[in-house]
Amino acid sequence: MQQTSSAKWLSILALAPFLVLPPAATADGETPKRASEILRSVDDLWRGNASHAITTMRVKTRHYTRTMRLEGWSKGKEQTLFRVLEPKRERGTVTLKSGNHIYTYLPKTDRKIRLTSGMMMGSWMGSHLTNDDLVKEARLEDDYIARISFEGVRDGQNIIEFTLIPKPEAAVVWGKVILVVLADSSTPLSEQFYDEDMQLVRTFSFTDMKLLAGRMRPAVMRVVPVDKPEEFTEFIYEKLELDIEISDHFFSVSNLKRR
Amino acid sequence: MKITTLALRSVVRNWHRTLVTTLAMAFACTIMITYGALMKGMVVGSEQQVVVMNQGDIQIHARGYRDDPDIYSTMADSEALLAEIRAQGFHATGRRFGFGLVASEGNSSGVQLRGTDLLYEPQVTEIHSHIMSGQWLDQNAPFGVVIGKKLARLLDAKVGSELVYIGQSADGYMANEIFTVRGILKAVATTIDSSSVLLPKQTLIEMLALPEGAHEIVVMRADRSAISLDAATRQIAALAPDYETLNWRELMPVIARFLETADVQTLIMLIFTYIAVASVVLNAILMSVFERIHQFGIMKAIGVTPAQSVALIYAEAMIQTLLASLLGLGFGWWASSHFQAHGIDMSHIAGDLSFAGIALDPVWYAYITPDVLINPIIFLFVVAALAAVYPAIKVARIRAIDAIHYQ
Repeated sequence: MQQTSSAKWLSILALAPFLVLPPAATADGETPKRASEILRSVDDLWRGNASHAITTMRVKTRHYTRTMRLEGWSKGKEQTLFRVLEPKRERGTVTLKSGNHIYTYLPKTDRKIRLTSGMMMGSWMGSHLTNDDLVKEARLEDDYIARISFEGVRDGQNIIEFTLIPKPEAAVVWGKVILVVLADSSTPLSEQFYDEDMQLVRTFSFTDMKLLAGRMRPAVMRVVPVDKPEEFTEFIYEKLELDIEISDHFFSVSNLKRR
Repeated sequence: MKITTLALRSVVRNWHRTLVTTLAMAFACTIMITYGALMKGMVVGSEQQVVVMNQGDIQIHARGYRDDPDIYSTMADSEALLAEIRAQGFHATGRRFGFGLVASEGNSSGVQLRGTDLLYEPQVTEIHSHIMSGQWLDQNAPFGVVIGKKLARLLDAKVGSELVYIGQSADGYMANEIFTVRGILKAVATTIDSSSVLLPKQTLIEMLALPEGAHEIVVMRADRSAISLDAATRQIAALAPDYETLNWRELMPVIARFLETADVQTLIMLIFTYIAVASVVLNAILMSVFERIHQFGIMKAIGVTPAQSVALIYAEAMIQTLLASLLGLGFGWWASSHFQAHGIDMSHIAGDLSFAGIALDPVWYAYITPDVLINPIIFLFVVAALAAVYPAIKVARIRAIDAIHYQ
């Protein structure tokens, strides 16, 4: 459950803009209502009933560097599907998130597999995101209390900083999440994840504003693990369509093979 | 005075009491011989399970690998190191590991893949002969795998079943392959039983694009009596100064400690059992003394010394102990031999037995050594001798006049 909101961003950038910022992130603190409203507007920036996107994923680790092109579809918060377009070696590999489960279709072996809980913390497609990030993406709104922790000019930009603290009963491992958005457009700039000892674990940054689905949105999201600052996973948005028509059957396990 | 003749006569005359006392001692002796043999069997069996099936005597890893089994943490020069170790008269093999998910028709499970050297692994461990069903790995069947028994149960896999593997290769790509189950292992260790997939090393290297070198080197002494484990560990560590070299006792301290203390456990059991025996012996001798107070009084009156009275009591006790130990030895040896040959099948009672992550054979075999047979007998004589002290003193101190008038 750890990577909760990373999946949110994964959804946002790579797959499904409608999925998710904490739309209902329950606000608290000195200006609870306002925090909630801004978070909602941030969420609205990406929200749609269904989406279609093409992204490039670049992964750099100490041991390898690789690039993949992915095509993604999503519907609501619970249904997401990615298909690998490139490289040729992995072309046709499909990841389906349906509710709390993740399925993978492997063209080489022509088999579909449901990932077990033991695999959830494993890397997704060799990136710095985990399978669990995909599953837990919709949980942020339920699990965190948001408050505005800074508002004003920082590094020449007018920003709002939110501090998201897990609700006492929430089953999350993050100690807190700090989200920074541009004040005027509610465009996310960065998101920092802290562990339960309040040590920074990883940072998401959002850059390269680009016209996507009729609005200016950050086209690049980069995930950097704090303990390996030389490594990163980067999602580069090529194409985004929102509110497309897509049936639930498209996301069914039985339909995996046909993708 | 013919002490032995007198003692024999007394023992035979009171044959009921002799029978009860002797049988009680013989029973305790039988129990202790059998228990000792079973304990020894458990120690030998556990060590066999730990060392011969999986751990080997000594293992070498890259530093930090055991804490974080990263697929990149190989020992790049492992082949040269293995050759050096073999040149010094040890058996040695390299192992490579990978991780991922294996799925059958209905289920899936996270697994550890073990790339096995088919030439050298059988020289080091006996895991190749520890197959519950099916066959061991074969170079000619690169995707035929051997899996742990719990994993087989979890996946509902049988020999011939197809398993799909999905994982990440060292170059960051998705690795996936279809395996066929060639064999299912008997219980080895919890981790192996529930998550191990053994396959030929070359298959694993190619499938996961593994970097050069093995993750683990396992060393076995060619002759376990020729060199001690500690000396062998030092010798191997000197060959691999850049790596972590540990013997199985260091790798599995809980098991090692348990096995080291097994003899103490047997001893404690021996003491408790024999305390009960001592009370029976003491009671029997005391009764025989009180019944014969008049007899001892008359003996004293005709000139039998206290020392001779004590000798008589001891002679009686020792005759009974000798009889008991012969009986105990006979029955204990017989029972131990039976359990050594056939074992006690615990699977119906306890299912899969394991201790500190090591699966124990559900059939518990005894193991007979001279110690196992002799120690309970020595103990029996000591206990009988101690139990006879008080009655002997009582007889030695008896005054003839008091004894003759004893009511």
